[in-house]
Amino acid sequence: MSTRIESLDPAVLDRLSHLSLVARTVVEGFMAGHHRSPHRGSSVEFQQHREYVPGDELRRIDWKVFAKSDRLVVKEFIEETNLALHLLVDASESMAYHSGKWSKFDYARWCSAAMAHLTLSQRDTVGLVLFDETGRSKVPPGSGAPQRQAIIGMLEESEASGPTQIGSVLNWVATRLSRRGIVAVFSDFFDDLDTILEGLRRLSFAGHEPILFQILDPQEVAFDFENLTRFIGLEKTGIQKIDPRAIRDAYLEEIGRHNQTLARQAQALSIDCLSVTTTQGVDSVLSTYLAHRTVRARGGTR
Amino acid sequence: MLALIEGFVHPALVAGVSLASVPLIIHLLNRQRHRPVSWAAMSFVLAAYRKTRRRVQLENLLLLLLRMAAIAALALAVARPFTSTDSSLGGLTESRRDVAIVLDASASTGFREEIDTVFERITTRAREILAELDGDRGDRAHLVLAGAWPRLTAWGDVKNSLTVLETIQDPTDEELDLAAALGEVLEFAREEAASTEESRVEVRVLTDLQRGSFYSRRAQPEDGEEAGDLADVLDELALLGLKVVVEDLGPVAPVPPNLSLASLETESPILGPSSPVDLRVTVANHGPDPKAAVRVALEVDGERRPSQVVDVPPRGRAEVVFPLSFETSGPHVARALLEGDRLAADDERVLVLDVPDPLRVLVVNGAPAAEVERDAAGRLLMVLEPTGEGRFSAAGSPFLPDEAKPREIESGDVDIAEYDLIWLVDVDSLSIDLVERLEEHVGRGASLVISLGGRVLADTFNDRFYRPDGSGLSPAELLRPVAVASRRDNYHRVSAFDATHPALTLFAEERWKALLTEAPFYQFYAARPLEGSRVLASFDDPAGSPFLVEREYDRGRVILWTSTIDESWTALPTWGPALVPLVFDLVRYAGSGRERPTTFAPGGTFAAEVSSFPRRVELTVPGGSRRVLDEEPLEVGPDLWRLPAIGGHQTARAGLYRLDADGVDPIAFSVQIEPSESDLSKMSPTEVSGLHPALELRIPDEGAGDEEDDLPRRGRLWRLLALIALAALVGESLWAAWIGRRRRIR
Repeated sequence: MSTRIESLDPAVLDRLSHLSLVARTVVEGFMAGHHRSPHRGSSVEFQQHREYVPGDELRRIDWKVFAKSDRLVVKEFIEETNLALHLLVDASESMAYHSGKWSKFDYARWCSAAMAHLTLSQRDTVGLVLFDETGRSKVPPGSGAPQRQAIIGMLEESEASGPTQIGSVLNWVATRLSRRGIVAVFSDFFDDLDTILEGLRRLSFAGHEPILFQILDPQEVAFDFENLTRFIGLEKTGIQKIDPRAIRDAYLEEIGRHNQTLARQAQALSIDCLSVTTTQGVDSVLSTYLAHRTVRARGGTR
Repeated sequence: MLALIEGFVHPALVAGVSLASVPLIIHLLNRQRHRPVSWAAMSFVLAAYRKTRRRVQLENLLLLLLRMAAIAALALAVARPFTSTDSSLGGLTESRRDVAIVLDASASTGFREEIDTVFERITTRAREILAELDGDRGDRAHLVLAGAWPRLTAWGDVKNSLTVLETIQDPTDEELDLAAALGEVLEFAREEAASTEESRVEVRVLTDLQRGSFYSRRAQPEDGEEAGDLADVLDELALLGLKVVVEDLGPVAPVPPNLSLASLETESPILGPSSPVDLRVTVANHGPDPKAAVRVALEVDGERRPSQVVDVPPRGRAEVVFPLSFETSGPHVARALLEGDRLAADDERVLVLDVPDPLRVLVVNGAPAAEVERDAAGRLLMVLEPTGEGRFSAAGSPFLPDEAKPREIESGDVDIAEYDLIWLVDVDSLSIDLVERLEEHVGRGASLVISLGGRVLADTFNDRFYRPDGSGLSPAELLRPVAVASRRDNYHRVSAFDATHPALTLFAEERWKALLTEAPFYQFYAARPLEGSRVLASFDDPAGSPFLVEREYDRGRVILWTSTIDESWTALPTWGPALVPLVFDLVRYAGSGRERPTTFAPGGTFAAEVSSFPRRVELTVPGGSRRVLDEEPLEVGPDLWRLPAIGGHQTARAGLYRLDADGVDPIAFSVQIEPSESDLSKMSPTEVSGLHPALELRIPDEGAGDEEDDLPRRGRLWRLLALIALAALVGESLWAAWIGRRRRIR
């Protein structure tokens, strides 16, 4: 059921490519905002010249070139940041549900691949952990093209199966990540909230910045079944014959309460929690979020 | 609940209750049709299910119960359950009434007392009973107009019964056959009770309580016997748990005064035109007081004859006699009238007097003598055509005799077809052709008398006239001559005769008997009667040889006289005046096949036969209205047609009926009411209650209001059940709509 990453719609990839500048800012924003670099002032490597445009800092004008060619150019450097992006993708069986074309796991893979793509494009390090009730497989943080291939290869090969224990996985990840960075978690978060929050707290205390991408299927949000249905729980959570219309209100109340609690507790821990459905475009979701972060990094309220 | 229900009108339909399981089955089948869906957010589904389970189950259960209840209640309603009033469900039931009203429409209910006739009281009372019924509630009424036969005039619908009742104005001219009327009630009471073992039909008999209606004429109350049929019907009704409520609407007096014409009849048969006949009118006084100077009027063919006055004793009779004579043959109408009294129906009687044409008799003389006095045929002719005065004078003779010799018939000079009766006197032999013609003629209805004599030989006779299979004319096989050795010393006599036979009734009287039984017979033919023939008189010889033997031959009649008419074998012609009445009555009897009854009781059937084809037969009934009969005449023989039978409702009214048809002489007959209808004596209350336990006398003016409470009622539940079904359906619809709205995806 999984969709190959490389079979992505070129238009989507194209749209994502335009995120590079934004991503750069985002990454800058990440680091400038909250995580000061431990390697401050070192290793600035010249990359290229470009034409001066009004607004560029005067100290970046290469006066030597001006003297030789009477042109105002600006020196650009490859700035090595200390960003490390850790992608945690829920590969449990519940992520396999789909009422439409894409399953939640597909969607998570898209998002995580996009994030990896953007980050690696900035020569930052990206690591990947696929988990169900434990860390099933991982790609240690790294950078460069090989890292990208490794991450995408693992995402492509993986399938959603097995039960979930997000909280314990987060706890486990908190102890294993030696390099602080951003921990983006892609999951439906259909698990015990207390353990999830406990894991998030531990990640935050360890100096990481968790970002929660709660990926839901539209049917899970709407629950608009018309016929009598035999619900077969993924992850062996039971079977129940039921008239969905009879329990719809109660179901929406239950799942709503769960999601609201997750969002509220995440906000209390200053953790971004983004709830998306699989019908939303990956590019628009990411661009919206990254733009939002950019604004916030430039002084907006978080 | 079933224990509270007494039964069902349609028990087989109770099985329909099983249809109540259909919603349950559909529900269970739907449970099998859940669409499987693999689901991730199962914990929320389970939590929602746990939270809503009890409420949803209750909602669904209520919906299911409402559907099942609707179907079950509907099925029960269709099966029409009922319960007794003492059941716990009695209060929930409504009482539907089935009332059978028997209206006594006999002639006696025409008795007028003060303003109303008894019959008007009966119809008024019937209207009152019908007014108590409610057609909308399901009440049903059955009207039985009871006369000589019951007429179920209305069945079921109350309004229809009222409409029918409005059309009934007058009683019939019939007597009441109460057993037949109650038999009609019994039929639909049985239908009603077929499924319930017990009928609750209320039976009301509205009557004048005339005694004769409750007892058969043969078994009057003093005999201590009830009318058999009535008792049987009452027994059957009692077995069904029914009471027959008899309401007395008759005259106040137990023996109401009434004068009636009890009978109107001739004292003797009318022999022919100019033949004198006495018409006897009997007047009956059924009241307790004598009636003096009762005037009896008579009209003959519309002409008023001088009336006669007679005194009639209390509860007695008196007769007046009108001497009549008719110049022409054919039907004549006599109408006797009394001065009108309170019961008009019996103050007039009509009698049709059918005067026959003179009987044409052909005497075939087989042994003509030189002197007519010594001729047997001559003697016979003298008897049939007397020249003297008195009853048997020529002027009054109903016969037109002719004499012929056998050869004259053989040659065709004399046509036997013109004669009603042919008497063969000592005829030795006839040709086969003539015998066949005789057979044909007799077969059409003519009569043949054969008297013997010296010329007759047994073998020749048997060859021509006798066949063992009965196809020959003779009613007996001649065996041998029997003669006494010496006429001085010995003779035979008629030792036995059938005194009931019309030709021999004269000799039934002791004073005339010897004329027949003491007459000496010296010789006769021993004969063996054909099976099925009737020996009218027989001799005293050891073999008991027959003297007169009669048989029916197709539509005709043959009589064998085994001796002679003249003195050659018997002294009968000279033995007092025996021969004349014997021959006279024998010939009259032999020719009586032409007569037909002309007087009937109401409803009697009249079927005339005519000798030419009748076209367009028209019936004129009392009152003068006419109607062309639709039915075609039936050809029953050569030149013989039977007119359509008229009876039942067509002859229900007393009076004169007349049939006219093209090519046929008019035919008339009369219908007279039964004399018993004139006796208005009433049953006493104790007599009624003692007659049969199922009878219950009730006088409408005395406590009629509480009668309904005494009658068992059948509690009907079907309307209540139908309402429950309706309520359940409405409740189910509302409930389902409410649930649907609540569960609708918003």
